[in-house]
Amino acid sequence: MRTDDLISLMSASSRPVDTGWLRRATWLCALAALAATAGLVLLTLGARADFAQVWMTPPVVAKAALGASVAVIALSLFHSSLRPGLRPARRLPLLALPFLVAAGWALYTLAQAPAEQWDALIFGRHWRACLIAVPLYALCPLIVLMALARRGAPVDRPLTGACAGLASAGLATIAYSLHCPADTAPFLAIWYTIAIALVTGLGALVLPRLLRW
Amino acid sequence: MSLDDLEQQLRPAFLAALAGDAAAYRRFLDAISARLRGYLRQMLARAGRSEASEAEDVLQETLLALHLSRHTYDPASPVTAWAHAIARYKLVDHLRRSGRHAGNLPLDDDAFQLAGPPEDAAVEARLDLARAMQVLPERTRRLIDRVKLQGASVSEAAGAAGMSETAAKVAIHRGLQAMAKFLSRRGVKPS
Repeated sequence: MRTDDLISLMSASSRPVDTGWLRRATWLCALAALAATAGLVLLTLGARADFAQVWMTPPVVAKAALGASVAVIALSLFHSSLRPGLRPARRLPLLALPFLVAAGWALYTLAQAPAEQWDALIFGRHWRACLIAVPLYALCPLIVLMALARRGAPVDRPLTGACAGLASAGLATIAYSLHCPADTAPFLAIWYTIAIALVTGLGALVLPRLLRW
Repeated sequence: MSLDDLEQQLRPAFLAALAGDAAAYRRFLDAISARLRGYLRQMLARAGRSEASEAEDVLQETLLALHLSRHTYDPASPVTAWAHAIARYKLVDHLRRSGRHAGNLPLDDDAFQLAGPPEDAAVEARLDLARAMQVLPERTRRLIDRVKLQGASVSEAAGAAGMSETAAKVAIHRGLQAMAKFLSRRGVKPS
């Protein structure tokens, strides 16, 4: 086929195109995935026993806020990464902000506490549960975002994969905060950060193979 | 023509095309394909491949990708940057598939700046797109042949095939999607 024929074919069969769909779909998919993941947490683990009393306390809000801020920034980058020519990698440093705030708060807490309490503040009794649960629950939004990414045009597939992983981990963090009984700032800054990093790595490594187009 | 001038010329045409203006879309595709042809030839030559038919193959693959990814264009961004990013992706993909490490590809923004339309016009592509057409259902292939070879309008071709114009456009769109999929899978697994 000559290139000219291809052009005739494409222009003759063209129809109006909605360029806003990708943005709406990204946020709607994220909301739906968040609802599904939260439902999954409630079904499998249940809410923490004291949820009614503590849900407005700073540690619980902080967990959800960390997850939400990571998810919102990562989703915005994820969406841009599906549109060729936008170079979202330049906005990557923004992502450090929520983690820096969490780390600052954790350091402040540790500095205020006597050294013999550090162990309890950092590890608590639930760090393994956090490391396992957040990545597992993140698979749910990750699959949704991957399906969406296949509808876009990711020219930097590792970046798209990493952003999808980050966003999924952020959403899973919000969902898991319904259950997670560990409420110290160092716990949040260390274990959630590691869990989020694991999912980001998974996304960056696995998704590029599935996103060829 | 500088990249800025090209952008000035192409952006309104592409925005009109997105709203459904087929003639504007045709103008856009003609202009961008001339530009991309120069870019791809130059880049392939740098990678040690100077056969024009190979550049034409990548160009056709790029045009298909542009067409099928129109919904990923952000109307607030330059359309030349969008097209360039897609062409670069398809070029790297092509080189990787044909066994050349894409990491060797030098930074290419300057090539896009400089590349004017080549002296000689389109050359015949190799057989890739023709082979891709073989995966289409018979009905779609006949429809495409009518529009492409006989220069019929889509509504005429649709009438001849006994379907509505919308159905014909959808069928052609699916056909183009299937061809793009065929091209991007080619060479990944031994066939």
